[in-house]
Amino acid sequence: MKITTQQLRAVLGNTEILRGIDFEANDREFVGIIGPNGSGKSTLLRCLYRVLNPSGGAIYLDGKELSSYRVKESAQKIAVVAQHNYYNFEFSVRDVVMMGRAPHKRALDRDTAEDYQIMRQSLKAVGMQDFEERSFSTLSGGEQQRIILARALAQQTPCLILDEPTNHLDIKYQLWLMDIVKKLDCTIISAVHDLNIAAMYCDRLYAMKHGEIIAQGRPRELLTKELIKELYEVDAEIMTDQEGILRIFYHSYHKREERSE
Amino acid sequence: MKSVDLKNGVLYGKPFYWIAVLLLSAMLILSLLWAVTIGSVDLAMGDVYRVILFKTFGIGDAQIYGSGSMSDIVWYVRLPRLVLAIAIGASLSTAGVVMQAIVKNPLADPYVLGISSGASLGATFAIILGVGTALGNGYVGIMAFIGAFLVSIGVIFLANMGGKATSVKLLLAGTALSSVCSAISSFLLYVKNNSSGAMEAVMRWTMGSLASANWETNQLLLITTIVGVCFFLTQYRTLNLMLLGDESAITLGTDLHRWRILYLVVSSLMIGFAVYAAGVIGFVGLIIPHIIRILFGTDHKKMVPLCALLGALFLLWADVLCRTLLERTELPIGILTSMIGAPVFIWLMVRKKYGFGGKES
Repeated sequence: MKITTQQLRAVLGNTEILRGIDFEANDREFVGIIGPNGSGKSTLLRCLYRVLNPSGGAIYLDGKELSSYRVKESAQKIAVVAQHNYYNFEFSVRDVVMMGRAPHKRALDRDTAEDYQIMRQSLKAVGMQDFEERSFSTLSGGEQQRIILARALAQQTPCLILDEPTNHLDIKYQLWLMDIVKKLDCTIISAVHDLNIAAMYCDRLYAMKHGEIIAQGRPRELLTKELIKELYEVDAEIMTDQEGILRIFYHSYHKREERSE
Repeated sequence: MKSVDLKNGVLYGKPFYWIAVLLLSAMLILSLLWAVTIGSVDLAMGDVYRVILFKTFGIGDAQIYGSGSMSDIVWYVRLPRLVLAIAIGASLSTAGVVMQAIVKNPLADPYVLGISSGASLGATFAIILGVGTALGNGYVGIMAFIGAFLVSIGVIFLANMGGKATSVKLLLAGTALSSVCSAISSFLLYVKNNSSGAMEAVMRWTMGSLASANWETNQLLLITTIVGVCFFLTQYRTLNLMLLGDESAITLGTDLHRWRILYLVVSSLMIGFAVYAAGVIGFVGLIIPHIIRILFGTDHKKMVPLCALLGALFLLWADVLCRTLLERTELPIGILTSMIGAPVFIWLMVRKKYGFGGKES
């Protein structure tokens, strides 16, 4: 599925968070959004998954304006894994994943055997099939995030949005999650903090700063010393390792001061 | 790894759920049949059933079972009262589940949030000042519903003022509105009645009583109960999503705004008519959902039917206790439910698990 935005703007309070974003994610493309904190990555994604109303511009899903879809219809197209989920109530893992079937249900539909089957497949895809009856709140942060991913998978959408889902996860789970997602046969849009992870998994990157897109392209072309300096005000070295994977190394402020002396 | 205490609900799994539904239904019917034979007047068990048999199906001797004091006691005193208890128990605990989902907080309850007091104020307005007589026969109930609805909107509005609602703000708003409403209705009752009658009336409205049960009110109440419970039986998916919050619900295809208002209307209807029929009976909507949640988990597919059944059973027995606990006199049922419910409420408040305000928002 293809998602595009045209001159998308968003205002929160009195500050303009997005200043005219032209964004595009093609069918089955893995698109990453990088940028410093407060650059508007999350705001852009939140507009795409409809919890924030843009103040200007438009979003298109397969050429049709997002606002003309009913909420239920857009939830059949886009699933979301967001930062962290805390619930005041105790759900079982099964209950949580079954909620992923909600967009496909009409008011009086009951859960069918097919829904249960999809729920189990989704749990299996994230390696949590043995946790079906566990209470969600007793799981670790990494496990919870996998369950939320399973819920998104149960939605069976052609597009998945990851709103920095790997925050607070240790490196094992970060790679785990990205590996699972990479294998999916759908359009993926993800905000990414870690440039190495962005380079490893994304087909294309957008670089955002101050609510604008300042560059876009394939990781190899986009991730340069100059861009990283401009985005994060950090000096970096970029290399390609033996397997042909882009590796980014950072210089600490500490070292930089020593060098300049 | 899969030890029992990590599972969600002690009795997780389908078979337990169906066994529980069947068991509770059976217990409800048996309790009804047994409770109808208990009372201050000693009647033979067989006679009691023959009266019911005659009244419902017209089978039996009209001379003995169709009229007279025995027939009247069974048909106009005992049975309507038990039916009322069942309907109110089901209404209040279902409304409790729904309120908890709407405000995303397991401490919510029609009584704690002041909604029952709002209903009671609406009803007093109707009875004493004759407000809303134009609404027809059930106008007292309708006014109680309007009172309940206004207070529930008010509590949610107050709790959301200046940022997201937390448990603390929610409970404070509920307590404050509840005090305002019960003060006004007590005032009205006091001014209107002479001093002796006033106490009785205030007691009836604030402590609850099933004593004035009759078939006419029962009819209205049975309608709101059955319609309400059946409606919420179909709404388990949205109720579940409500607990996740607005944002997650949107990404899962449901915009909760409209539903929240609709649920408030339906639950206020249930609470309004329950209060109109029997005054304020507290904590039923808190205790029952909590027990079910411990046993069967949070999924509303199971919550709604089990809570309706257990609530009905609970109030039926609470009423039997109220009638038999003290000799010669009857305990107001609200006192009994509060004696059981308030400690449960405190225990819930103390338990850290329920994120008392801070962590969630």
